[in-house]
Amino acid sequence: MNGTALISTAVQVLVVVAGAPLLVGLMRQVRARLEGRAGAGIGQPWRDLRKLLRRAPATPTGTGWAFRLAPLLLVGTSLVLAAVVPLLTTASPLDRAADLFAIVGLLALGTVTLALAALDTGTAFGGMGASREMTILALVEPTILVAVFALSARVGSTNLAEIVTTTQHDPLRVASPASLLAAAALLIVVVAETGRLPVDNPATHLELTMIHEAMILEYAGTDLALVELAASMRLTILLGLLTSLFLPWGIAGASLAALPLALAAFVAKVAVLGLALGAVEVFIAKLRLFRVPELLAGSFVLALLAVASSFFLV
Amino acid sequence: MTDISYPLYLDLAAGLFLLTAVGVLWRHQLSAMIRLFALQGAALAAIVAILGIHQHSLELVLVALGLGVLRAGVLPYLARRALGDSPAEARETRPVVNVAASLLAAAALSLLAYAATRPLVALAPSPATGILPAAVAVVLIGFFTLVARRRALSQVVGFLLLDNGITATAFLAAAGVPLIVELGVSFDLLLVVLVLQVLTTRLRTAFGSSDLDELRELHD
Amino acid sequence: MTILLLLAPVGLPLAAALVYAAAGWRPHTTAWMGVVTTALLSADAIGLAVTVTRHGPVDTAGGLIRADALSAWMLLGVAAVALLACWASPAYLAAEHPHARRARWYGILLHLFIAAMAVAVLAGNLGILWVAVEATTIVTAFLVGHHRSRTALEAAWKYVVICSAAIAIAFLGLVLLYYAAQHAGLTGNDALDWATLAGHAHQLDPAVTRIAVGLAVLGFGAKAGLVPLHAWLPDAHSQAPAPVSALMSGVLLPVALYAVLRVKAVADPALGAGYLRTLLLILALTTLALAAVQLIGQRDFKRMLAYSSMEHMGLIALAAAVGTRPAIAALLLHMAGHGLAKTVAFLSAGHILYRHNSSRITDVRALATRTPLLAGLFGLAIVALLGFPPAALFASELGIARAGVGAGLAWATAAAFAFVATAFAAITAHSGRMLLGPPPMTEPGAAPPAAFTPATAMPLIAGLLGVAVLGITLGPVAGLLQAAASTVGAP
Repeated sequence: MNGTALISTAVQVLVVVAGAPLLVGLMRQVRARLEGRAGAGIGQPWRDLRKLLRRAPATPTGTGWAFRLAPLLLVGTSLVLAAVVPLLTTASPLDRAADLFAIVGLLALGTVTLALAALDTGTAFGGMGASREMTILALVEPTILVAVFALSARVGSTNLAEIVTTTQHDPLRVASPASLLAAAALLIVVVAETGRLPVDNPATHLELTMIHEAMILEYAGTDLALVELAASMRLTILLGLLTSLFLPWGIAGASLAALPLALAAFVAKVAVLGLALGAVEVFIAKLRLFRVPELLAGSFVLALLAVASSFFLV
Repeated sequence: MTDISYPLYLDLAAGLFLLTAVGVLWRHQLSAMIRLFALQGAALAAIVAILGIHQHSLELVLVALGLGVLRAGVLPYLARRALGDSPAEARETRPVVNVAASLLAAAALSLLAYAATRPLVALAPSPATGILPAAVAVVLIGFFTLVARRRALSQVVGFLLLDNGITATAFLAAAGVPLIVELGVSFDLLLVVLVLQVLTTRLRTAFGSSDLDELRELHD
Repeated sequence: MTILLLLAPVGLPLAAALVYAAAGWRPHTTAWMGVVTTALLSADAIGLAVTVTRHGPVDTAGGLIRADALSAWMLLGVAAVALLACWASPAYLAAEHPHARRARWYGILLHLFIAAMAVAVLAGNLGILWVAVEATTIVTAFLVGHHRSRTALEAAWKYVVICSAAIAIAFLGLVLLYYAAQHAGLTGNDALDWATLAGHAHQLDPAVTRIAVGLAVLGFGAKAGLVPLHAWLPDAHSQAPAPVSALMSGVLLPVALYAVLRVKAVADPALGAGYLRTLLLILALTTLALAAVQLIGQRDFKRMLAYSSMEHMGLIALAAAVGTRPAIAALLLHMAGHGLAKTVAFLSAGHILYRHNSSRITDVRALATRTPLLAGLFGLAIVALLGFPPAALFASELGIARAGVGAGLAWATAAAFAFVATAFAAITAHSGRMLLGPPPMTEPGAAPPAAFTPATAMPLIAGLLGVAVLGITLGPVAGLLQAAASTVGAP
């Protein structure tokens, strides 16, 4: 196993773990400032995590292994994803696992365990949140697969590192219709998968509007800290995936020397994307639940059209 | 325009052309549908202009300008006038085929268009004929909108999409039909929209709304 | 001289429309101008027929306007039906008492309609043909909605939307045909000129031509009332004023099928006769089946006449599918006979509607005893439409049957005539209910409507005479019919 690759991957995972709550804090701060409030500062999510870690976890009576296992599995899959997705470097030792299908499978595994844990609590909120999340997941999975497949059709391989490297060498490809359509589809899907507006409001606790919050309602203490960390890591990884696929400049290859530049580029790109997302969230309203399938069907059509154009257009 | 970027620009314009058609099926608000149709008119004018610049034909560029004025300016204006002012009129509330199913149908129609136009592209392969499938897909999506929507104005927008797709096919396949036919066609299109606008107004006076579901008196 | 003959059919109705625009519709003066212009149009059509029989096809305007034997025959049909419709219009409008403005628009639009149909049959370029057919849709949209009632508006809306969409599909077909023609070496106006295309048909790419011709036949066929885009026909023909229904059934539907014939003349050398034969057979049989089924339970006599038009167009499409010279000759005779008979039927139906204020069959009883002249004319028109001798339709239906069997399509022809027999039974039953039986008791205090004078009946009598004469002998037009059949028919 290549030493430099191991170091680069370790740095990548550390950056994701450390930076994920900061990204969430940045988005909340942007929203606060635009709404005319002072905001709690970018470091607030880390302070919340520190507070939660000091508390004892509470397990409701009647829950089984699913409830206890979910936080660990969530953090575990997020860590593997952070190591596998080409964020800072394309030369990860888990390179052979950096396949499109594996990554989508890991994402889905995390979501499904959380839904199972919500069902395990036996409460009405848990069941409701789980069923809503599954509806969204059923529509989001095919779209991610098809959209990234559109990008992989030109490259000839579904390995994400190869796609990123090929795009680095041929920048004009990003402006092709297949790529643009896939970008649009993936943006909608990332918003849906991470539970941001307009699909789900991350700051709500109203019964009518909760999806993700409903599933984690029964968690407390260290369990809640793990779940929140995992959620912010998934957001960071998905935003990073978006920037790697469509704006791959700065990502290091196998050398360590290019790593600081890659780090700076990654932080800058994800921060800008997070800022933009946070700002847009101030101006849009949440979609009614039965309109969400329409939005996701539209993103699926965009992904399908991306595949079609990647095969048929020049 | 360099030879490298000509196919790219053409593909981008064609992509926007197809996307606006999908968008018309996606949105509920009639005013949003008309805006998307105007954007599609601009995309059509862009396609013709790019073809004209590539072939160094001033005539094509002038035709593109005329097309832009007609389909991105005049026709949406007429359609918006037919929309009326009442807010109850502004939405497509119960389409015959719901939005999610319509979008999937649009995807299926696009794939059908790609399959059916293979002989057309095979006759004269070039970047221009390569995007013929997108134009035929817009024709099919326009026809589907005509069939799958209940509001009178949605049917009008569907018909206009159909016509945009056919015009795009004409310019991509054959660098336009003979000028006299193109003039006749544009004039006919304008007259059809005027007729439909007048009929919509009369429908609203007679029926109280332009919901075509109300038109159920003639049947066997 | 030939230039005058070629341009007058367009110029005369346009001039009439201008006069109506300027002077309006006056019951005793301008109302009769239509008769004058259409009489001149008929004379012009006869002149053109003579010229074409003697000298072959003539053209002008660089080939954009061309007349061959087929065009001359169609123009004769257009002129005859237009003459009858304009002759009957003053009586119809006098009974209706519309506003002066609406009557003026009626006059303008009616003549623009006639002009558009004249352009369609005289067009040498498929593109011009398309523009003319689209223009007829636009012009008749307001004519169909003339009464401004809810049902009329609904019919007008359906008509415009369905026919415009269908015609747009036909245009896509023509664009693809132009594309194929360009790659066969033709350019500019020549690429859509039907004579040039027929000559170069062997060089057209088969796959592209197949798609193009299929779309064009579907689009123009929808305008002729063939399935699947036929839903506008019963509504539009039943809601329009009677002279307009007569023109639409009698001429517009055949002109749409004329466009199909022109496309067929290009398609058969390029693709072989099998492709269009199969397509037209399917369309014809489904149209006949649908029309026959809808006629059985019909409750409205104007819709009954509309479905009867669909049935006859299905028969004409069957003859076009057969495609041999005898079949095309029978087809053209059928177009002429049906045009005249349907005109008389619709005009008398208009008078019946005015008299009884309802178009339901059950509301009309014992016409024969109450208004014998009107009942007689309506009855004779129905008899002609059913195909009894001496009407021309008897000879043409016999001709279509013989041609169908002779070309090896015996099963299809048998099925088609089975549907025709069903329609025969249905129409006989409905008309019998309308014409025969004891008269109902008159309601007290009901004002008797104006009597149906022989003067009002003149156009109807003339139409019936025409159908009968055409059925007995072709006389001077026999040569024209043979020449027209040989332009599109396979030997």
